[in-house]
Amino acid sequence: MSESTFMGVERDRIDWSPRIDFSKCNDCMDCVEFCPHQVFEVNENEKPKLKVKNPNNCVVFCRACGKTCGLDAITFPDKPETTKMIKAIRKAEKEAASDE
Amino acid sequence: MSNTVCVLPCNGLDKCAGDISRRVALKLTESEGVELICPVLLNQNKTRYDKVLEDGSLSVIDGCNTRCASKLAGSLEIAIKEKVNVSEVAKAQNIKLGVDIRDDEETDALVQVLLEKMSISEEKQADSQFIETETVEYESFSHGKFIFKVPKNNYFFNENDCWVSISGDIARVGVTDYVQQNLSDILYVDPPEIGQEIEQFDELGSIESSKTVFEIISPVSGTVVAVNDKLQDAPELVNESPYEKGWLVELRLSNFEEDKELLLDFEAYFEFLKRKVAETNV
Ligand code: SF4
Ligand code: SF4
Repeated sequence: MSESTFMGVERDRIDWSPRIDFSKCNDCMDCVEFCPHQVFEVNENEKPKLKVKNPNNCVVFCRACGKTCGLDAITFPDKPETTKMIKAIRKAEKEAASDE
Repeated sequence: MSNTVCVLPCNGLDKCAGDISRRVALKLTESEGVELICPVLLNQNKTRYDKVLEDGSLSVIDGCNTRCASKLAGSLEIAIKEKVNVSEVAKAQNIKLGVDIRDDEETDALVQVLLEKMSISEEKQADSQFIETETVEYESFSHGKFIFKVPKNNYFFNENDCWVSISGDIARVGVTDYVQQNLSDILYVDPPEIGQEIEQFDELGSIESSKTVFEIISPVSGTVVAVNDKLQDAPELVNESPYEKGWLVELRLSNFEEDKELLLDFEAYFEFLKRKVAETNV
């Protein structure tokens, strides 16, 4: 899924993925089990064990794993801001295309 | 007398949220026609409860987001009619629960709020204002043994696989055939509250199968005016008719022209879905 886009915008230009607060996380791995998109990675020998390995695999606007975390260790970027940014990129691209 | 209500609390008795779940359950069983279900016994010996569950409906009280009680009901394939989550309600009330069991004013108040939450959901249903079009035409494609249907007109989609259909300034929202097939048997629909104001891409409740929970991501902005209350008794309608009878929420639109910029029409979603299905089914 390297060239994926969301609403016509390249996925890697959209900053949307879970942020882990490791001062709260207790390595229960519920989030890892929950997410089907290979966003997380577990390294048994590192601390923290949990890593957000593929942030761009995260489905834009999904916040589901945050709900599974009983300790509230997962947060997400601001939704309205992200929407605004996607709209701005789309607009800029449209204008650039019509200038040609 | 009407049907029995079976109450299934969580079993986290040693923690604050679990203890509150227990208190709410016990309080509920003081009313007539309410039967308490012990999670441990249910898990050991479901037949013990077969009869009450058959004539009654199930209300679940989860202590925290581990949702043990819901998961237990899900694994035994018992449909959930209603449920609350102690930790989420506490959060909404700005109450920090912590781990230790507490019996004070704050937790008393929380028990009260939870009790109210569990009985009101029956009453305040606004009538649907959506005018259905006569027939919906579909186009489908197959992948392996799966066939995916997408409606051809008057539906828009977001890339989170939720649809919206418009009638005047009222919009109906639901999930696509793809979601329904991915989740398989849907056991519970958790609707948003009537009157809630929603921005585009906000969460509009969720649906749950024994496999997982799927958050509904609203394709439009507006105010929730109705929810499909048939789904409380028959969540399987989402599986059987995801685009019609299994609709989830109705909103009064606030800015559809702008929302539309970030939505896909039939052609675009059809292509998007084909690609997605091809990529994910390894
Ligand atoms: S669910 Fe929460 S506590 Fe558990 S591993 Fe994930 S972030 Fe950490
Ligand atoms: S938000 Fe959704 S897609 Fe993203 S990591 Fe969590 S569960 Fe996976």
